[in-house]
Amino acid sequence: MMNIALIGNPNTGKTSLFNNLTGSYEYVGNWSGVTVEKKVGVFKNGEDQLIDLPGVYTLNPLSKDEGVVTNFFLNEPFEKLLNILDASQLRRNLHLTLQLMEYGAPVIIGLNMLDVAKNRGIQIDIGKLSEALGVTVAPVVARSGKGCDELAELVTGDFVGMGKTNLVYYGKAIEDGILRLANMLDGRVKLPIRWLALQLFEGNSYVKDYLVKYVAIEEIESLILSVADSHFQLSGDKQTLEQVIYRKRSETIDKIVAASASRKDNKKVPLTEKVDMIVTNKFLGIPIFLLMMYFMFMLTFDWLGFPLSDALDAFLSGPVTAGITAALAAAGSSQFINDLILDGIIAGVGGVLVFVPQIFILFFFISLLEDSGYMARVALVMDRLMEAVGLNGKAFIPMMIGFGCNVPGIMAARTIETPKERLMTILLTPLMSCSARLPVYALFVGAFFIQHKALVVLSLYVLGVVVALILAKVFSKTLLKGETSLFVIELPPYRMPQARALWRSTWDKGKGFVKKAGTFIFAGSVLIWLLAYAGPEGANISMDDSYLAALGGIFAPLFAPIGFGTWQASASLFTGFLAKESIISTMNIIYYVPDEASLQGLMAVHYTPLAAYSFMVFILLYIPCLATTATIYKETGSKRWTAFSIGYALLIAYLLSLAIYQGGKLFGLS
Amino acid sequence: MLGKLKAGEKGRIMNISGADKFVRRRLLDLGIAEGSEVCVKCILPFGGPVMIESCGQCIGIRRKEALRIEVERA
Repeated sequence: MMNIALIGNPNTGKTSLFNNLTGSYEYVGNWSGVTVEKKVGVFKNGEDQLIDLPGVYTLNPLSKDEGVVTNFFLNEPFEKLLNILDASQLRRNLHLTLQLMEYGAPVIIGLNMLDVAKNRGIQIDIGKLSEALGVTVAPVVARSGKGCDELAELVTGDFVGMGKTNLVYYGKAIEDGILRLANMLDGRVKLPIRWLALQLFEGNSYVKDYLVKYVAIEEIESLILSVADSHFQLSGDKQTLEQVIYRKRSETIDKIVAASASRKDNKKVPLTEKVDMIVTNKFLGIPIFLLMMYFMFMLTFDWLGFPLSDALDAFLSGPVTAGITAALAAAGSSQFINDLILDGIIAGVGGVLVFVPQIFILFFFISLLEDSGYMARVALVMDRLMEAVGLNGKAFIPMMIGFGCNVPGIMAARTIETPKERLMTILLTPLMSCSARLPVYALFVGAFFIQHKALVVLSLYVLGVVVALILAKVFSKTLLKGETSLFVIELPPYRMPQARALWRSTWDKGKGFVKKAGTFIFAGSVLIWLLAYAGPEGANISMDDSYLAALGGIFAPLFAPIGFGTWQASASLFTGFLAKESIISTMNIIYYVPDEASLQGLMAVHYTPLAAYSFMVFILLYIPCLATTATIYKETGSKRWTAFSIGYALLIAYLLSLAIYQGGKLFGLS
Repeated sequence: MLGKLKAGEKGRIMNISGADKFVRRRLLDLGIAEGSEVCVKCILPFGGPVMIESCGQCIGIRRKEALRIEVERA
């Protein structure tokens, strides 16, 4: 078995290629750096592994996301590299390739987007490119999968060359410096010295930290200084080593490109630019974005999602429940088992499954935004607003992903380069209303706001964003002062989304929800049902005497001022920490109803519309769920910030619900 | 200055050293440096970012950074 690492610039079709080579269900996106985690797939030969690395322009990292790649080269074992290049941006892509060749591992190049290059009048002679670099170059179309089988065969085959490790001559000063580092390390390091030295001279802090383990830091620093000094002495130019290295590489690349590519002028305005003239238009940009959001919510909640969920509800509470009842009767099970299955599991799990259509529609739209390339435009359009609150436009992308699920949203914050902005984005993304909160809204709007379903739900999503922006401003003025905010974003060309990639991406995001219903919610439902079934006085008692009622009752008075001081509400809020959608399962069990429609009928007795809205606002903000909390801890590495993310959310949720409920009552609402 | 160009205008970058270190590095990663030809594609309102095109790729940077990049109108 071999480990093969897939590496390339952002937006070169790397993730699509990964999917096509491994045939696995993988996440495909289009905004800069969608691959936030190390992902491993198995080649179709069933043996070798392909490791998907985040997209990088160079091995000298700026963001934490890019640091993942440098760390990989420093610390992880692998046998070969598969380098994917964007043929339409050959020059910039080759900067990375040259660094890979300096590393000296066997490498194969997959040349993607030859069609885009051709449209721009660029013709590439693959044979000559391969000859200039000294490695095999194979054309592929990553999106459609054309050429992928041949590429897989090449890269898993026995003969993969190293390429030319010293394609670039960096001048006497730097070349001498490389030798001096080799002497200092004296064979103690297994990694290629030339590569280490060049990365060090370029200012790669990861490589420096690595070398400090072998050589004293003073020696390393004096080496860098003396190389810079001797470069100045020898050549008389004042450029920094980083600039010199970049320039030398560029010169070599110019030669390679001149030998292997030819270009005709093509005056045609690409479609992408025409689309961009509209969607990033001065006046239309933000309205278009809001209109698209509105359209997405109407489809999810009103036009399409609602009838589908209704139909599923009817199916689950009708034929499915009847079938299971009959099966239980035929098996002659006890009353206890009957109650557990029908009132506990079916009510709990079924209550959550009903929302699968709406959640999939939402995920479909998020995937569509990512895959088409629009997401990066959203970041551009929103940057001015985000800058005003101390963030940058890129922070909007984790937040948008957070609408689907907060966990990947928080992980996506890794692409934000400045630590302060990254931390703020992590802390604020949980305020984005994730899809697990959606069932709660759907239930309540169905019971109380039937006329304005989508608008009421949209108001909650907007509220989450507004609260996040206000808090961002507050945090950046108080807790997280200093450090300027920066923003450079690549806007990849629009691509026609492909049905297969879209479906994969939607399914990949949505399957977690279905899986959770079968595991977490299932177990939770059993537990909640048992707690509601038994009490201090024994089993099978009135629910008001159950353990659950006693537990909820302790906290109920706290929630009275915000409109829902019942033990039922506080009990469901507890389970909501485990997973937001289990609020619904808990309510289904507590209120002892067979389907969503009758639960909505019951809600009308226990809540007023104002209390219902206050409850929804509280659910929106009150706490990141367990999985999100764990992710915040993992990403920040700080118990303090994790505790803070829970604490501030509880406080804000309580204050806002209080303002809404008490304020609403003052205005005579109920 | 790049930030002074109007939408649709083209220029050649003369001096980029006034821009923030990070912005400079990222632009360099994208292959944009002194000598590169750029075209301003659009300018977002309220002092928002500018979208520029260079060698067939589009990039967004903030107006205040664009104002620190010297260009020669083409």
